[in-house]
Amino acid sequence: MLVARSNPHFFSLFLSAIACAPVWLFAQEASRAPGGETTRWEHEVPVIHSGEWNGPRLTDGQPDVQGFWSNTIANHNNWTDPQGGEPGDTRSRPRKHRAPSRVIDPPDGQVPFQPWARALQQEFAAHLYNPVKPQYIEPLARCAPGGVPKSFIWHGYEIRQYPGYVLFLFDSGTRIIHLDGKPHLPANIKLWNADSRGHWEGNTLVVDVTSNNAKARFGRSGEFASENVHITERFIFSEDGERYNYVATFTDPTVYTRPWTAIIPARRRGVGEPPDGWHFSGELANAPGQPPFFEHYERICVENNGAFGQVAAPAQHASSSGARP
Amino acid sequence: MHENAHWSATANGHWTRRTRIALASLVAALIAARAHGEDVIPRLTNGKPDFSGIWQTTSAAEYDLEPHSARKDAPPGAGVVEGDVIPYLPEALKQKQKNFAARATDDPRLKCWTLGTPRGIYYPEPFQIFQRERDLTLVFQFGHSVRTIHTNGTLHPADPDNEFWLGDSRGHWEGDTLVVDVTNLTDQTWLDRAGNFHSTALHVIERWKFLDANTIEYSATLEDPNVFSRPWTLNVILHRHREKNFQLIENYCYTLDYDEYYPFPQSR
Repeated sequence: MLVARSNPHFFSLFLSAIACAPVWLFAQEASRAPGGETTRWEHEVPVIHSGEWNGPRLTDGQPDVQGFWSNTIANHNNWTDPQGGEPGDTRSRPRKHRAPSRVIDPPDGQVPFQPWARALQQEFAAHLYNPVKPQYIEPLARCAPGGVPKSFIWHGYEIRQYPGYVLFLFDSGTRIIHLDGKPHLPANIKLWNADSRGHWEGNTLVVDVTSNNAKARFGRSGEFASENVHITERFIFSEDGERYNYVATFTDPTVYTRPWTAIIPARRRGVGEPPDGWHFSGELANAPGQPPFFEHYERICVENNGAFGQVAAPAQHASSSGARP
Repeated sequence: MHENAHWSATANGHWTRRTRIALASLVAALIAARAHGEDVIPRLTNGKPDFSGIWQTTSAAEYDLEPHSARKDAPPGAGVVEGDVIPYLPEALKQKQKNFAARATDDPRLKCWTLGTPRGIYYPEPFQIFQRERDLTLVFQFGHSVRTIHTNGTLHPADPDNEFWLGDSRGHWEGDTLVVDVTNLTDQTWLDRAGNFHSTALHVIERWKFLDANTIEYSATLEDPNVFSRPWTLNVILHRHREKNFQLIENYCYTLDYDEYYPFPQSR
């Protein structure tokens, strides 16, 4: 592992992120992170090389990477300055004390937008808390799926695998990765979670992503793609199966001046770590006499009139407080 | 005759090659015929039936579970309820009638809300089953909602206050039949477009069984002492989608109300 950047002030950053969340939706999310939750404040991007897989396999030969997972560096507040807070957050620590940009190519860490697209991204960022037009409202706040790639920097999620498929169960949205050899959907079909065709190369799940409806933003900082975007994802799993790096290359001549690449580190969550409703929202199974293990409860959102993929809560129909404690 | 030679031994007692092929084909056909409908169903490596696949009913259950003639918003249907009539308690029947009268506006489906159990199963859009030994994951095209049926011996949550839209599902095998106990349900879902409904006391017992490799017999018994005078059962057949390259196409229809505002071109 290599230390990319270090940040000894992560907890004060965390507090400042809470303090400047003026929208109830956002405050509600922040309030669900108990003290001591530090997953999102790691400041290392582990180096994991593509190579052979020597870990457990499923009956169909796939590396077995099932279970609960979470991003380890910040959240969706800011795509290129993950620990810099939402747009307008002036209370962050100096840039050099925060995790690096998710963009690893180009080397300046910025999305290579065409000028008009850069201006639009900045317009979105400037209006995050002043959404005077409907399009300024972040779609996730309307219960829309997080989409690709935002789903990987939001809450924790579960991976389930089957012969021919890898499923990602996010708090907002579900992705079905086809390993079954079926062709991509026709290009005129556009989807929140896009259309994903994958295969395994050793320890790496390689996924070709098309048909992205490009309605989801990458972060509250407003980065976006167009419907023409083509994404190649590489999920590179560590030898011990406890980590993976998501490395995605975005090609979209409609919006960018050149292809660019981002990295999102993730680690496994599970027994021994209390669920926190954020990075890890598994529920202990009711299995008397068995060692503890976790289940993934149903996710709903629009039905509760509250964002963020809540699970059902008793006697709170149509209320805005359906979050679990 | 030359043709007859294909079906008989040659003069020296040896089978001709074409005869051997014909006999082999006949035997194979007989084996297949015997097995049809009996034994050739997909199975997991642990021997349990494997319901993996994409399924959909062709019934009119979604429009009205009870027998009904055609109306402007529904094709006719003979009904899928055993005994034809859902046994409502008197007050509940009044509510059902109110629901029916207001069905054009009050059906939660119209908001693209999660359909519930069992409605999601017979809604006329496909759903896909992904199956492991420990569970079945059902992904519904409508709303792309996800239901898990646990088959690992776990119990319903100890906390009895959950109100899930698809319920908490714990299954076990009785021979080749998957029997699923569903509790912890919200009362916010309807059972069909005709306003049939339930309370949070709903308890559903499902039975899933292969009729043949491409057909599932599905039944659901519904108990709800707040709404029904006795348990009652519905039955539908689910067909496997076998069209070439058939797959789910996510339908997050609740996003359509604001679809026009995204993505970027609308704001340029």
